[in-house]
Amino acid sequence: MSEQREDEELTGPLGRATRLLQDEPSPRAEWREAVLQAAERPAVRPLGWRVRPAVAIAACAACLITGAAITYGVLRDRMGSGARDVVASENGSVRQGQLPVRFAVEAPGAVHVSIVGDFNGWNPVGLPMHRLSDGRTWEVEVGLAPGRYAYAFVVDGRLSRDSSAPESGTDDFGVPNSVVLVGGS
Amino acid sequence: MSPVRLVGRFTGGAVLALGVLAAAAGSAAAQGAAQPALPARLGVPARAAIVAIMDSARDGGLPTAPLAAKAAEGVLKGADDARIVEAVRSLAKALGDARGALGPTADASVLDAGASALRAGVTPAALRSLGAAGAAPSAAPALATALVTLVDFVAKGVPPELASQSIEQLLRLGAPESRFETLRNEVEADIRDGQSPEAAVTTRVRTNVQQLGAPGAPHPPPSPSSVPESTR
Repeated sequence: MSEQREDEELTGPLGRATRLLQDEPSPRAEWREAVLQAAERPAVRPLGWRVRPAVAIAACAACLITGAAITYGVLRDRMGSGARDVVASENGSVRQGQLPVRFAVEAPGAVHVSIVGDFNGWNPVGLPMHRLSDGRTWEVEVGLAPGRYAYAFVVDGRLSRDSSAPESGTDDFGVPNSVVLVGGS
Repeated sequence: MSPVRLVGRFTGGAVLALGVLAAAAGSAAAQGAAQPALPARLGVPARAAIVAIMDSARDGGLPTAPLAAKAAEGVLKGADDARIVEAVRSLAKALGDARGALGPTADASVLDAGASALRAGVTPAALRSLGAAGAAPSAAPALATALVTLVDFVAKGVPPELASQSIEQLLRLGAPESRFETLRNEVEADIRDGQSPEAAVTTRVRTNVQQLGAPGAPHPPPSPSSVPESTR
């Protein structure tokens, strides 16, 4: 019984080598000793971890909740960090805390006119203006929160100041803007 | 190990790994969405520099939308990348200085106005004093409008020191937002009539201080709306 167990334990290349060394004298005693010591060492258990499915599902749910919380927090910070979400207002309807501001420019013969400024991230396609019935005036009304905004018109791709509005005091690029002051009431 | 147990282990591990991946992906997506878009025309080095400035600003609790807008403005005006990066860096510094002067509770609109004031020539010490004056419960809502008025006065040629002191006086007396808008209109009208910006502000602020200082002094009625000069 014990022999059978020993045979089972001494399988594989190491087992065969061990048996060989036990049967025949080793040409070098230190080799024989080393191999025999290795065979007597307890088997190394493989490293690993076990997770019950229920625990894994709970952990997964916790990860998802954490991810959602991070997402919500980041997006909320973004909303409160000065991102200005401005759209053209219809018939003077604006969001709470905003005031309707009408911009107009004369650009006869223009094909496309839009307005850019601090209020829309200087996005040239975000706030297109509409041509009035006189065929020369372009207009848009936007809702703006109280503040001071630099802006300009984009007439067929070319930047144009509002000549009838005050100039911006500070300009970083050598091309002055117009300024509108909103609110306070 | 039985096959059922093996499958159970595999499923549990897979579900857990999936959850971690989902959380990581959600977080990464949120970070990406939080980054305001930069113009495509920016070169790779300039874009990297601006993203680094914006990341640093976000870490410091500063608004990043004005920084992205500044980059977009530069691109629209045909400025070279180096100038755009410098403008964004300068604005980020002003926002940081405004945060330092106005404190951690200042919201984005107040910080924006504070940064504009600093860039117009108002000193950090004067801005700090204005922030303290505007921190009173009665004055808090008016602080952003007060700072906007201050920048407007400086842009019109009023010395920054006089403009700061004048606005601070009104803030300390609890002037409402509407008072600042009326004051702007009055000063502008006086300048149009030929008065110097300095004299117009001095006279009008003195009148407002007297009105606010008198018990039961009526506040000026709010304007129906604000429109740019061109369409008023």
